[in-house]
Amino acid sequence: MNATQTIAIIGASGNMGGAIAKSLVKGNYNLLLQASQNEKVTGLVSELVAINPKASVEAIDCSFEASWEADIIILAVPYTAEKEIAEKIKEVANQKIVISISNPLNETFDGLLTTELSAAEELQLLLPNAKVIKAFNTTFQANLTTPVIKGEMVDAFVAGNDEAAIETVSDLVKTAGFTPIVAGDLTVSRTLEQMQLLLIKLTIKNNYNWHAGWRILLDN
Amino acid sequence: MYDIYFANFRKRVPLTYEEEALIKSYLSVKKVRKRQFLLQEYDVCRSVIFVEHGLLRSFSVDANGSEHIAQFAAEGWYISDLFSFLTEEPATFNIEALENSELVTISKLAHEELLEKCPKYEIFSRILLTDAYVALQQRMNANISKSLDERYATFVANYPDITQRIPQHMIASYMGTTPETLSRIRRRMASEK
Ligand SMILES: NC(=O)c1ccc[n+]([C@@H]2O[C@H](COP(=O)([O-])OP(=O)(O)OC[C@H]3O[C@@H](n4cnc5c(N)ncnc54)[C@H](OP(=O)(O)O)[C@@H]3O)[C@@H](O)[C@H]2O)c1
Repeated sequence: MNATQTIAIIGASGNMGGAIAKSLVKGNYNLLLQASQNEKVTGLVSELVAINPKASVEAIDCSFEASWEADIIILAVPYTAEKEIAEKIKEVANQKIVISISNPLNETFDGLLTTELSAAEELQLLLPNAKVIKAFNTTFQANLTTPVIKGEMVDAFVAGNDEAAIETVSDLVKTAGFTPIVAGDLTVSRTLEQMQLLLIKLTIKNNYNWHAGWRILLDN
Repeated sequence: MYDIYFANFRKRVPLTYEEEALIKSYLSVKKVRKRQFLLQEYDVCRSVIFVEHGLLRSFSVDANGSEHIAQFAAEGWYISDLFSFLTEEPATFNIEALENSELVTISKLAHEELLEKCPKYEIFSRILLTDAYVALQQRMNANISKSLDERYATFVANYPDITQRIPQHMIASYMGTTPETLSRIRRRMASEK
C-alpha cells in the first residue's frame, strides 16, 4: 500500500471541483478542498463524509497552504483565473503534479481564448518546475457523477510530459470511474481542448443535455 | 521554506546564487501533519527527505507487529530508506511524522539529474552518504559492543534537543530495549550526576 497522497482541489466550491472531490473520496487520498471562503464548501465536506465516513477531507481557504501540503494539485478554476493562482502557488508547486482541467472557452462558448498554445502548456510555462498534466477536461461535470453512459464507460484523456506523473494521474482517473487514455505529451492538450469545444458546440446544437462523453470504440 | 536546507548545504559546500537556484528548481517542499506517513514498508522509496522543521522517524515492523525505530530526524537532518532509494527494491522502513513538519524532498530522478548538472551537488551528496555510512557504522558497533548506559548517553549527546520531544517508549525502541529498562537507566544516570 502506498503512503496516502494528499490532493489539493483549488476551486472546490465550483461545479467541477465538487464533482471531482466526490469521485475521488472513495480512493486512498487526503483531500484538501480550497475555496475563497471555507463556508462555501461546508456542504461539500458533509456530503463527502456521508459518502465515505473514513475519508480525510478538510476545507482550507488558502491556495498556497493547500498546495504546500499537497502531492497533487488540481486547478478546478476558470482558465482566466489560472495565471493569478499559478503566481500564488508557484514556489510550493515545485516538482509536484498539477492537473489542468480547464477549457479556455470564450464567453459565447463557440471558440477558445488561447491562440497557439493550449491552456495546459501556458500553465506549464507559469509553473516551469511543476509537472503539469492535462486531465478531466474532456469530461462534463455530469460524467463525474455517472461515468457510465448506456453501459459504456466514458474515456478520459490524459496528456503530459512526465511518465511517472501520467501514471499517477491515470490511477486517479481510474479511481474517478473513467477509462484513462494516455493521449501523448502536453502539446496534445491543444487537441483535447479543441475536442471539448466541439463537444460543447454539439451539445448546445443537438441538445445532448450536458451528459455526453468521448469513447473510443474497440472490437476487442 | 528552504532556509535550513541551504544553510546546511553551505556549511559543507559553498554555493553561488545560480547554483542555489538550479538546485532549488529540483527540490519540492511539503508540509505534513503529525502521524502522516511519507513512506510505507513494501513501497519503493522514491525520495530523500530533509527536515526543515518538525520531527520524523523511520521504523520497521517485525513479524509480531512490534516496531523497531531505525532513526529520528529533526530540523537539519535527512531521512530516507537509502537501500530502497538506491536499489529501487521495496522499502524495509516506514517513515512517519511525529510532529507537524515542513520538509524539503528530492526525488530519485531529480537527484540523478542534479548529480549530472551540478558538481557542487555531487560533492554534497558524497559528503552526505559518507556521513550516513559513518553514523551507521557507529550505531552498529554500539549495538554489538556497548552497554545500554553508554548507548543512552550517546543518544542524548546526538539528539540533545529532541530527547524531550520523543516519547520514552520510542527511545527504548530505537535502542532495542524496553521502556522499563530505559527508565531504570535514566534513574541511575540521574542519581550519578
Ligand atoms: N463544468 C464542466 O462540465 C467542465 C468540464 C470540464 C472542464 N471544466 C473546466 O473546469 C474548470 C472549472 O469549471 P466549473 O464549471 O467548475 O466552474 P465554476 O463552477 O464556476 O467554478 C469555478 C471555481 O473557481 C474558483 N475561482 C474563480 N476565480 C478564482 C480565482 N481568481 N482564484 C481562485 N479561485 C477562483 C471559484 O471558487 P471561489 O468562489 O471560492 O473563488 C469557483 O468555485 C474550468 O476551467 C472549466 O473549463 C468544466
